Amino acid sequence: MATFQRHRAFPWLLLLPQLAIVAIFFFWPAFQALRRSFYVQDAFGLGERFVGLSNYVAVLTSALWQQALVNTLLFSASVALGAMSIALLLATLADRVLRGAKGYRTLLIWPYAVAPAAAGVLWLFLFDPSLGIISRALGSLGIHWNQRLNGGQAMLLVIIASVWQQMSYNFIFFLAGLQSIPASLLESAAIDGAGPWRRFWTITFPLLSPTTFFLLVMNTIYAFFETFGTIDTTTGGGPNNATTTLVYKIYQDGIVGLDLGGSSAQSVILMVLVGLLTLIQFRYVERRVQYY
Amino acid sequence: MSTLTLERLNKTYGGNVQAVRGVDLDIADGELIVVVGPSGCGKSTLLRLIAGLEEISDGELCIDGQRVNDSEPAGRDIAMVFQNYALYPHMSVYDNMAYSLKNRRTPKEEIRRRVTETARLLAIDDLLERRPRQLSGGQRQRVAMGRAVVRQPKVFLFDEPLSNLDASLRVQMRQEIRRLQKRLGVTSVYVTHDQVEAMTLADRLVVMNGGRIEQIGTPMTLFNQPATRFVAGFIGSPAMNFIDLAHAEQTPWLPASTPGGALTAGIRPEHLQLVTAGSGDLPGRIEMVEPLGSESLVHVRLGEHDPLLVVRLSGDELPAAEQPTGVAINGPVHLFDSDGRRLP
Ligand SMILES: Nc1ncnc2c1ncn2[C@@H]1O[C@H](COP(=O)(O)OP(=O)(O)O)[C@@H](O)[C@H]1O
Ligand SMILES: [Mg+2]
Repeated sequence: MATFQRHRAFPWLLLLPQLAIVAIFFFWPAFQALRRSFYVQDAFGLGERFVGLSNYVAVLTSALWQQALVNTLLFSASVALGAMSIALLLATLADRVLRGAKGYRTLLIWPYAVAPAAAGVLWLFLFDPSLGIISRALGSLGIHWNQRLNGGQAMLLVIIASVWQQMSYNFIFFLAGLQSIPASLLESAAIDGAGPWRRFWTITFPLLSPTTFFLLVMNTIYAFFETFGTIDTTTGGGPNNATTTLVYKIYQDGIVGLDLGGSSAQSVILMVLVGLLTLIQFRYVERRVQYY
Repeated sequence: MSTLTLERLNKTYGGNVQAVRGVDLDIADGELIVVVGPSGCGKSTLLRLIAGLEEISDGELCIDGQRVNDSEPAGRDIAMVFQNYALYPHMSVYDNMAYSLKNRRTPKEEIRRRVTETARLLAIDDLLERRPRQLSGGQRQRVAMGRAVVRQPKVFLFDEPLSNLDASLRVQMRQEIRRLQKRLGVTSVYVTHDQVEAMTLADRLVVMNGGRIEQIGTPMTLFNQPATRFVAGFIGSPAMNFIDLAHAEQTPWLPASTPGGALTAGIRPEHLQLVTAGSGDLPGRIEMVEPLGSESLVHVRLGEHDPLLVVRLSGDELPAAEQPTGVAINGPVHLFDSDGRRLP
């Protein structure tokens, strides 16, 4: 005991670098954003004026912001659902051929190593209305693909690119989760008369639920924040704001449009929104998670 | 009820590991067969072939005369108790036991009735709401048994079900399994590497070695008439003594009818006794004495390069170590040829 008490300051010393990083790169900017969201800045950044909540009112009543909110919810739900279900499917297949899993795993990790912007460019090439392989194939099927004109198609493109990016991350976690389920449980279920489909839904899926829940939180955060590069390189938020998400709009209004007060208010709202969403996930979804 | 027939059953893993070789076995209705053998001899593989968890490489498996080689595990109506119990960790004890019945679309009322009944039979009726991790090792074992029993299957398979329990619990569960199996009358195959467990449980014992069956018979047959040197050495504790003889015909303590040449003689430790040095059949020197309370084991060195002979003495007579002694044979001598086969 004595040795622990003598070094009371030491644990804090070890935590200091981490605390400093959080303070400098999170709390300070967050505080700045919060402060700025109550002010209007002049165009040259020389003066500012306190305006109370009027930045917030302007944001919440703006039709463009509301569209970005709808875009974000649609986009995030599709990306999280798509990236998780495809990864789970692939991981289940890989788990069945365990010996092949290693090579397969390496192959599937690659997309994660690609920078989001590069991933965006890659998919942009594939779907280029005049040169892309996929858009040509679609054209020969009678589907006219042009994400520069068609908002729905543009949304689909950024969803596909983002799903492709996030899938490998999910895959690794799902595969690890699957491999930690003892084979004898599934064998026992098979003897107990459960077919493959039923075995998956009554044994595998419930036992994977801690992994699934963790990935749900991570994927939501990814879709909200980290898809910025992908959107910027593929569609630039267009056409006609069809792929402008909340994060992208903050960038457009704040960095491009130089409306610091308005974009700060948007950041604060986004932070609250994501915090709320995560809270809901922990409150309601986590209850159904089987920590055994 | 049900019979089980295995005919020239073979299993080869990955083209070169022959885990089970030409196993022939006829199991009668209601019989408890114990398969025993050293670790890695193919016992689990044999069970998994019967359960349908591994594909049969060659040979035929019949339940009630019906060939089931190509049936799914679910279609064979077999229940299995795994060594690690394989209880579903996210389900209560009740749901663990009800799982197979739900899969078979048994009416809810009947599920409730059968689970409660089985739980009472196994004295786990006050654990039904618990999760497996809230149970002790012995309770888990009972739940695993209950899960098998509630199905009322044609055949029970047990893969070393007691090896994760401590010694006293193991003895108790052994007796309960025996009682339960007789009461339910379900044909059973029980795998263990523990020969005491095997002897006490079995109607008939199957001794396996290197994927092959060495001998099939009642525990007493295997003990009194081991068909091979392997069986002789495996069954019985402490193990049988073996003496390699280069010229059997010159050995005075063997009957005159013994064939000549190289043979191995096997004598159980309880069929030897110590006599004064210079008398008896074999001269030797006491190397070590192990008192076990009700009996003691005396290790006797015959010649410089011979293995130690174990003599089992009942009562509390304790001879001194490092003394010359005579050893007399007062029981059957088993003879095996150079291939390890028993001579009549
Ligand atoms: N899935 C497998 N793939 C390859 N070899 C296996 C496999 N399962 C078991 N074996 C081999 O088959 C032999 C018998 O194994 P097993 O039936 O588990 O023995 P036991 O249960 O008697 O200890 C062993 O040599 C083991 O290494
Ligand atoms: Mg085994």
